Amino acid sequence: MISVLLLVFLVEVGVHLVNTVGAATINNLLWNIYLTLPTEFSKQVAERKTLQKEYLTIRRDLNATSSQDQFAKWAKLRRQHDKLLEQLEKMKTSHESAKTKFDSTVNILRWLATSGLKFLLPFWYAKQPMFWLPHGWFPYYAEWILSFPRAPVGSVSIASWQTACAGVVLLVSDTIAAILGLVLGAKMAKKQPVKVGAEKGPIPKSQEAKAKKDS
Amino acid sequence: MSTAVVSADDGLEPTLQSILDQKTLRWIFVGGKGGVGKTTTSCSLAIQLAKVRRSVLLISTDPAHNLSDAFSQKFGKEARLVEGFTNLSAMEIDPNGSIQDLIAGQGEENSDPLSGMGGMMQDLAFAIPGIDEAMSFAEVLKQVKSLSYEVIIFDTAPTGHTLRFLQFPSVLEKALAKISQLSSQYGPLLNGFLGNQGTLPNGQNLNEMMEKLEGLRQTISEVNTQFKDENLTTFVCVCIAEFLSLYETERMIQELASYSIDTHCIVVNQLLFPKQGSNCEQCNARRKMQKKYLDQIEELYDEFNVVRMPLLVEEVRGKEKLERFSEMLIHPYVPPE
Repeated sequence: MISVLLLVFLVEVGVHLVNTVGAATINNLLWNIYLTLPTEFSKQVAERKTLQKEYLTIRRDLNATSSQDQFAKWAKLRRQHDKLLEQLEKMKTSHESAKTKFDSTVNILRWLATSGLKFLLPFWYAKQPMFWLPHGWFPYYAEWILSFPRAPVGSVSIASWQTACAGVVLLVSDTIAAILGLVLGAKMAKKQPVKVGAEKGPIPKSQEAKAKKDS
Repeated sequence: MSTAVVSADDGLEPTLQSILDQKTLRWIFVGGKGGVGKTTTSCSLAIQLAKVRRSVLLISTDPAHNLSDAFSQKFGKEARLVEGFTNLSAMEIDPNGSIQDLIAGQGEENSDPLSGMGGMMQDLAFAIPGIDEAMSFAEVLKQVKSLSYEVIIFDTAPTGHTLRFLQFPSVLEKALAKISQLSSQYGPLLNGFLGNQGTLPNGQNLNEMMEKLEGLRQTISEVNTQFKDENLTTFVCVCIAEFLSLYETERMIQELASYSIDTHCIVVNQLLFPKQGSNCEQCNARRKMQKKYLDQIEELYDEFNVVRMPLLVEEVRGKEKLERFSEMLIHPYVPPE
């Protein structure tokens, strides 16, 4: 069994990742993965694509055929066109409903795995000390706050641990973002040997300042 | 024209013989764009059918009634025997007019037919698109059913109207199913307000009205199933060899297929057959154009009986001329050389 300490940390990391990447992006990614799986549904999607292609060719033919001079051909194309269009409309609705269903399922699962756990864990392990503080190092009020709400005084409660984890995750992610920004900015500046020399100076300076502020 | 030939090559016979031979047919619709000769065709078909059936009824649902014109005899809302026939009757109904009769019939006791129950019916008629015409249609069908004709021919209004007319049974059935459901749910509640007899404020009876609506719904659902049965119902398309008419016909055939109403006959009317060496410029040009569309029709509707009718030099009016014209529906017209 994975230790509670690690679990809380991982949940915080997960929540942060979801928040930065965005729920919609994750859903789309999962949806695309789901489509590549060899399911009944992905077969339908492939079928729909071929139908769409067929429909487009027929529509082109229809537009190229004169309804007055070649009525028979035109009418036959028109029948095919109408039939395909109807089929496509039906497929589109079923596709959309499948996507909505998939999205809601993924949303629920994602919420349970991140925010749900984040709320549930403190309830579950409320009375359990995460680890004990060395005796006498901290004043009583600090010990009381760290053990808030229900862990024994002198220990660190799960809520305090969670807050600490969240803080660290935020710090680390900001640092990474800042460093990445710095490196990329430097590369960009190198790539574009700017004609006007004066412009070279301010760019790294501002990024440095930003990195300082972030860390 | 021997029947053996017809049965051997049913789909390609250029006559309406297949309709005469199909003894199970009960409803025949004749439709097409305005001015292509629907009324003439339906009258001619009725005349031919009267020769082989016990009794035939011809109904015009076109607001611009032409039956009276074609037979030179006045027809009304009641079926009347056509002069010179013993088993062919005709009647003209106005789809818009009979809703007024229906409303009037409902509110007999009221001096003003549009108040009270009539008002309710009026509300209903405007709440659901097409219900007014559908209700009058149902009323007519009820009458017709009790008259026990072997075949009933509908001379319908120009294309758009016709299709709406045929759609009505499904529309009305849905609407009425909703209403009866509502009434069974809220009926007791309403009766609580209205007293034991369920009397509406102006002396009408709620239950009675609901019963009437339910009866109407049953009639209509029965008619609906009959119309969708290809053994009982068929649609004869009338067109002329011109682009717009052809376009409308194609649309109509597709739409009929979507309502699952059988159609396997097309009458191409008003064809020109100028004499060999005729120097009528218009006639020859027109003949050329008609030939182009005729070829297209043949290619497109290879599973239909395509009947070619010539354009006559006289108006087809009166019994004798109609009879002569009707012969050409059965025996293909051979243009003089």
